[in-house]
Amino acid sequence: MNDPGRKQPDRNDSSHHASLAHAADGPGGPARIRLSSERLAVLFIAVFAAGVTLVLTSVYYLSAKVVDREVDAVISAEVAHLVDDYSRGGLLQLVSTLRSRTDSWGRFGAVYLLTEANGQPIAGNLARWPSNVRSYNNWIEFEIDASEAGGVVAHPVRAQRFLLPGGRRLLVGTDILERTRLASSLRTAMFWGVGSIILLATLFGISYSRGIRRRVRAFATTCESIMAGDLSQRLPVQTSHDEFDTLATAVNRMLERIEQQTSVLRTTFDSAAHDLRGPLYRARVRIEETLQHPGLADGSRETMEATLAELERVQRTLGTLLQIAQADGGGRDLPTQEVDLAQLARELVELYTPEAGARDVSLEYDGVEHMTIRGNSQLLAQALVNLIENAIKYVAPGGRIDVRVTSGAQAASLIVADNGPGIPAHERSRILQPFVRLERDRERVGSGLGLSLVAAVMRMHRASIELLDNQPGLIVRCTLPR
Amino acid sequence: MRLLLIEDDLQAAEYLVKGLRENGYEIEHSPEGRDGLAKATAGGYDIIIADRQLPHLDGLEIIATLREHNDRTPVLILSALGTVDDRVRGLQAGGDDYLTKPFAFAELLARIEALNRRSAVATETTRLKVADLEIDLLARRVMRAGHNIDLTTKEFQLLEFLMRRTGQVVTRTMLLEGVWNLHFDPQTNITDVHMSRLRNAIDKGFPKPLIHTVRGAGYVLKE
Repeated sequence: MNDPGRKQPDRNDSSHHASLAHAADGPGGPARIRLSSERLAVLFIAVFAAGVTLVLTSVYYLSAKVVDREVDAVISAEVAHLVDDYSRGGLLQLVSTLRSRTDSWGRFGAVYLLTEANGQPIAGNLARWPSNVRSYNNWIEFEIDASEAGGVVAHPVRAQRFLLPGGRRLLVGTDILERTRLASSLRTAMFWGVGSIILLATLFGISYSRGIRRRVRAFATTCESIMAGDLSQRLPVQTSHDEFDTLATAVNRMLERIEQQTSVLRTTFDSAAHDLRGPLYRARVRIEETLQHPGLADGSRETMEATLAELERVQRTLGTLLQIAQADGGGRDLPTQEVDLAQLARELVELYTPEAGARDVSLEYDGVEHMTIRGNSQLLAQALVNLIENAIKYVAPGGRIDVRVTSGAQAASLIVADNGPGIPAHERSRILQPFVRLERDRERVGSGLGLSLVAAVMRMHRASIELLDNQPGLIVRCTLPR
Repeated sequence: MRLLLIEDDLQAAEYLVKGLRENGYEIEHSPEGRDGLAKATAGGYDIIIADRQLPHLDGLEIIATLREHNDRTPVLILSALGTVDDRVRGLQAGGDDYLTKPFAFAELLARIEALNRRSAVATETTRLKVADLEIDLLARRVMRAGHNIDLTTKEFQLLEFLMRRTGQVVTRTMLLEGVWNLHFDPQTNITDVHMSRLRNAIDKGFPKPLIHTVRGAGYVLKE
């Protein structure tokens, strides 16, 4: 029941997980960042390409329409003129005008044909009535063969046709080859234009998203070392003065401020702690001196001894606070050595077994034989001592405490599980802070620093600490990187 | 025995000097680092007690200078810096022992005594004997008045630690450091239970107890 290793506690529900190391490397860390910048780039390319395509298509249709309208206007004017001739001078006048126009070739690309009812041409520059005619409203389009330099080329023609009295037919039109060519080159230009814009946008998008990813990664790396305690680190600022630089500058200013405040706080705290030791030391010296007087009354002696014990408590609290402060100062120059965590745990269990036994509490080690990690043996020992002493203090007579070290591929776990009153789930994150104690423990002796020191030692070792429910009781699990 | 105390806290120094004289030590006091080093190099002291933070020259620098000149005089460091790290550094710098202020005077006395006697006991000894108690370090065997006594490994280490310091006061802190290699003070007086077990094993049933409690200081093993 109380075997912590066999339990599979629900991490989301019943645990406070104060992971301190490699927080950004978890699932959904950098992967999500990459996704966002790439998604942005793709979206950017799509919107940009769609916009460009829309603009070029409009240009194409508008210019085609302008040319079309011009052609139609010219033909309409011609038709009006010819109709006028016909109504004033009859067929003869019409034929004469057509002939004179055909001979001098009138306007460029003009096409005329006047035929008898049976199709016999009377005047114009077409040999016969065209076949393969496509008609749009009162307009028709067809192709004629015209010889150009080098060979015969099919020229598209746009025209209007009229039925004259007596069954004669009139056709007035224009060669629209140039117009078709213009449209075709516009289409080609549009194709290449849109294509190269998409290509350029893609290249730009990729390099843009890479740039963002690189800078975000640089930020994340710096933040990691800052979290590990090196407050002197700053986010990289480039010379481009872009949004990232604005952000980095602001964050750096914030870090500057935090570092300043932290350093003021730490210096104040350190000097306060050290300055307090002086008077404490002298107070102790005086009490000890007084206690040596043989003529001291028994009552005074008791008071003095009690005062001495109080002084020792203050001294211990100060020492622990200094230790915690040192841990949170980064602990970069922490001397480390190879520590056999399993052996350390066994020895400390052995050290505390009589003490636990005196309170009718069973204290046992059940874990691996050896588990070597890199760390500070004294601090790890102190952390474990605090956990064991805590458990002994809270477990009721008849209870049990299990200490266990397990080994994983990446990390070693140090677990202390008891079947005492435990810690309510909502208090678990708070209880690791200095001087925080549970309401129900107010009456007990203690500084409220024991678990904070454990947490600080774990921070120093880049380890995580979790408080879990042993149902009933508390499981403290420290996961240390190997 | 001549002691040199290098300490800038004059009030504390006065008390220490007085106390140590009362305990039969000859002692000289120096209030700052440079003067202290000059006195120390002049020689003639059996033990030097140096504060770690001193004006002009700090305690660790004094030790370093002495050791550079092959002066092996035992040095006891007194310090207001009390983290585990500081203790380790103090010992690494060549200090022989380390005490964190404020400390009990009895603790200081015990440490001075231990430093003084340290050189006296030969480390190569394989048998230790006090009155009718005898231990064989190689065979890990304990005999009292001809009777075999079974001890656990830790109890044996504890007994060996005491027997190597026969007649000296051994404090709880010294036991934690020497037997369990723990350089910090746990909340509980955890050594007391182990001492009472050891006493049960070697003193129970014998007319003359060998392990004695020294009030306010620790234990002593003697006839």
